[in-house]
Parts: sequence; structure tokens; C-alpha cells
Amino acid sequence: MANPDPRDVDNLVELFNQSDWDELYVKTDGLEIFLSNDPQASGPAAPAAPAAIAATPPAATAPAAAPGEPAPVAGAAPASAAATVPDGMIGITAPNLGTFYRAPKPGAPPYVEVGQAVEPGTEVCLIEVMKLFTPVSAGTAGVVREICIEDGQMVEFGQLLVIIEPGA
Amino acid sequence: MPINRVLVANRGEIAVRIIRAAQALGIETVQVLSAADRDSAAARLADRAVVIGPAPSKQSYLEAKLLLHAAQQTGCDALHPGYGFLSERASLANLCREHDITFVGPDADVIDALGDKLRARAIAAEAGVPLVPGTDSIADVQSAQRAAEDIGYPVVMKASAGGGGRGMFIARTPADLAGSFDKASTEALEAFGDGTLYMERFVGNARHVEVQVLGDGTGQVVHFGERDCSTQRRYQKVIEEAPCAIMPEHVRGKLHAAAVNLLSKLKYRNAGTVEFLYDVDHEEVFFIEVNTRIQVEHPVSEQVTGADLVQLQFRVAGGEPVSFDQSAITVSRHSIECRINAEDAAHDFRPSPGRITSWQPPRGAGIRVDSHCADGYLVPPYYDSMIGKLIVTANDRASAVERLAAALDEFTIDGIVTNLPLLRHIVKHPDFMANEISTRWLEQSVLSGFQTEGA
Repeated sequence: MANPDPRDVDNLVELFNQSDWDELYVKTDGLEIFLSNDPQASGPAAPAAPAAIAATPPAATAPAAAPGEPAPVAGAAPASAAATVPDGMIGITAPNLGTFYRAPKPGAPPYVEVGQAVEPGTEVCLIEVMKLFTPVSAGTAGVVREICIEDGQMVEFGQLLVIIEPGA
Repeated sequence: MPINRVLVANRGEIAVRIIRAAQALGIETVQVLSAADRDSAAARLADRAVVIGPAPSKQSYLEAKLLLHAAQQTGCDALHPGYGFLSERASLANLCREHDITFVGPDADVIDALGDKLRARAIAAEAGVPLVPGTDSIADVQSAQRAAEDIGYPVVMKASAGGGGRGMFIARTPADLAGSFDKASTEALEAFGDGTLYMERFVGNARHVEVQVLGDGTGQVVHFGERDCSTQRRYQKVIEEAPCAIMPEHVRGKLHAAAVNLLSKLKYRNAGTVEFLYDVDHEEVFFIEVNTRIQVEHPVSEQVTGADLVQLQFRVAGGEPVSFDQSAITVSRHSIECRINAEDAAHDFRPSPGRITSWQPPRGAGIRVDSHCADGYLVPPYYDSMIGKLIVTANDRASAVERLAAALDEFTIDGIVTNLPLLRHIVKHPDFMANEISTRWLEQSVLSGFQTEGA
């Protein structure tokens, strides 16, 4: 697999999606791929984890610490806009604070799945602010490599939502 | 219902002030941020901080829906709007009520009523609060001259359809009225399509005074004395003091009673400020407007009464009554606040955002600095230029001015241009030291000279 064909990647993703596996990690010459169903996953536990393929987890939406027990400063920090996007990939970030939805309405199929090809105008998710739903487009042609946020989570401005591999 | 967790819907020094007041009461804090304020003091101090939008305030601090969404998603049961931004928008108070979030401020209809100048004047008149003597529309020179006899010269004629000085003139004699009436009416007609003029007394020697009040929504309203905010530039306050040292007791008593009466009638809930014009020569006060928020200059009232006004805002918003009466509030000593702005007074007050390389505020007895700044802080270019407030308190005005001058000399801010040189110049000016100033004093007697010197 010295010169990986994009179709190989597609096939791997397809295989993974149809499996009941939790994770898939493949490393060969010229290709390193980590797939996971866990949005909190940061990479395989084994050595040579791909650098920060997952976004920084969103700040907890659980109630803040009880009075007299202030949340630690680290936990108080806003979600960083600097959650890193792997080299060569493009991150789609939240245009403002809101609630992230993967599907146009509850029960409907998601806009996109990991591995799916998208065009610049393809809608990839919704951001809701006080019942106002604004679709977010891919903005680039490529393949969805990661969906960084769980459905229904609050996201902050600039938070990484979806990672696209352009032209893949 | 007592407040458990508040969304702090503001930035800068007032966000820090609100967080500290909340913490003192055991209220948890969630700070909203624009992307430009990620590394702010408020973000670090709050229990939690959320970035709601990009740097421009229109897409962040002025976006009411983002504030409400953030409040709901982070489990807040209250929202504190601070000052500026959306603090006096009835729509935000309404939105909060619709979503069961306690707005730390008055009810929307009270904000609406007091926000409309004409309605506010009508409410004030009904409550027996004096308004600047004036007339309805005046048809011709003869009626103008008759009206001026009643009101007393000098008078000012104003265009009822507009502002900006067009159609406006000051008359000191009947001849002035005869000479300028027709010209002003024509000017107003050309500018606003309506040549109607009306008359008000011209207050030449005017002070801006205001009464700090607190109401609990039941009609119980107390005041915390008055402030004198006459050192202004373009209607922006630069230096504020408490009390108004030149005001005779009999005027002060009327002033306080008028403010309390007005807000008591409205069953006002929240801290608030009733602003007046003080005609020094006639020893009369006239209603201007009511501000339904906590104000920038609230610390001077805190310093002379010992009250914590932001904590009191939380208490009454949470449904507590004002449990003390007026006799429990005494004004003692004298306090002066200077607004420290990132602006270049020597170059037409142009804003000067940038990185503060060194922030060394003065310290010592009677010195309070309310600020969000520190060494290395980047003053963003997107917002108001105020970077802090220096508040000094001493036994009387003369010693407070002396202490203020020393504190300003000690204050070092490097990396950006600030108005510290202007403030130092003002407080050492003989007129300021003698307290012989008016609302026009800074512009007329100080700024022209200062700008020439600075240039």
C-alpha cells in the first residue's frame, strides 16, 4: 500500500461502518488511519497515535460545581478554537455558540457520515440558537473524516465540528 | 427565588465586578465571551466561560439570542447585563422572562417607559419631579417674548422635530429673540421639514447630578446619596464624585425625595439612577432621565455609603425585599472616580488599543482600582476604550483631590496611550481644585489648552 488509493480508504471506512467494531487503526507506508465510534477518542491507545485527530472535547454541559466548590480553573476555560486539525485536513468550526445537530430533525438520517464525499455546498450539520436552526455547509469538496461533536451538544464559537479531507 | 447561577452578559471591568459580587453571595458564574476576550480576567475568574461569537459585539455581546441560549445550556437561572450593550433593552428583559431566567434589572415595561424620553418626562411630571421650565410650540416672536418673561432669560429655542443644534439658539434679551426667531425656524424647516420651535430655560451654570437608588419591586425605594458628574466631554462623563459638595442641604433633600418618589411610584426593582440638571445659580434641580442599570460610576456611592450595589442588585432580583430603611444609609467622606481610557487626548481622543506592557496601579489607603487589565493584557480594538476606573476616597473633597492627584501620578500604564496625562492635568487645575466647574467646563476651559500643549 505504498501509494494508497482513495478507494482503499473509502473501503476501509465502509468496512468499519458496517462492522460493530469500536475502533479501527491501520498504519502502512503512506497511510495511517484511525476510525472510532467514540467522539471523545483521541487516537489509538497504542504507540504512534495520530496527532490530535479528535477535537478537544466540548466543555462539559453538566451543571457547574456546587457553591463553595468552585470548578478548577482549567475546567473553566472556554473551549479552545485551537483544537488542531491534522495537516492537510480542513476543519469546519461553529459560526457562533449554539446546539449542534447532525440531522435536519430528530429521527432523520444524519446530513453526513464519516467517509462520505461532500461538495462545498453540502450541508453537514445544524447549529441551533433559541429555536433558530442554521445549516452549516462543508465549504470545500472532499471526504468527511471526522464528526467531532455529539448530536445535541452545546458548541462554542470557533469550536471544531467536522473535519474534511479536501479533494479526497 | 434566590439566584443560583448567573450568566454574566458583559465584558471588561464590570464583568469582573459582577463575578466578584456573585461569588461573595455564593452565586455561581458563567461568563460569556467574544473570541477577542478568551484570555480575559473575567474568563479566568468565572466558574465557567463560554465563547458565544466572534469579536464584533454585534455578533456576540449584542446578540440577545446567543446570551439566552448560553444561559439555558449552562443551567443559569439569572442574567446580569452590566452596563452598556443590552443592559437597557426591554427586549432582553422580555426574552429572559419568557424563558424563566431572572433578569437582574427592572421589568421590561419599566425599562420601556423610562427609556422613552417623552414618556419618562410625563411620568416625572406626574410624580411631581421638576422639569426644566419650558413651553410647547411657539408660533411667533411675540409669543416667544411673552414666554421668556415667564421663564426668565436666558432661554434656549429648540426645534421640536430635531436635534444637533439646528434651529437652536440662545436668547439673553427680547431683542435676541426678535433677531433670531425667523432664521431658526427656517433652518429647522429646511433641516427637519418642520419649522416648529419651543423654548426652555437656558441653564448656563449647570451641574450634572444624579441620585443612586435601589428598589425591591414593592414600592420600597431607598437612595444612596447623589453623585456629581459634571466633568464631561461630549456628554461622556470623565470624572464622577460623591457627594455633590457644592449642593446646599435644602436642594439635596428635594433632589433625593424627587428621585425616590419617582421610582417608588413605578414600583421599581433594581439599582437605578435618576439624573438631574442642577441650576447652580437658581439652586434648582431638573429631571433629565432615569438609567435602569448599574452605572460605571457606582463605586463612588459605594465608597461613601459602605454599600455593595451589585450585591444588592442580585438580592432584589432574587426576590429579597430591601430590608433596611433610609435611616440605615449614611453618606460620609468624599469619593472621586476617574475613568481610565485607552485613548489619546492629545490627538482628538483617538482610541489606542494594543498590548499593555506594564500595568502598575497605585496602592494605598483610600485607593480602589476596578479593572480587568494586567501586564501583557491586549486591549482589543472592538469595544469601548475604558480600561479601568481609579476611585479614591478621603475625609473631604480637598483631601480626596489631593489623594487622587498623587494616585494618578503613581499610576503607570505602558504599551498603549491612555488619558492619564489629561486626568492629571484636570485634577491639578485650579478650577477643579476649587470645585468651580460646570458641565461645559472641561471642553471650554481645559481641552483646547491641553490639546495645544500635548500636540
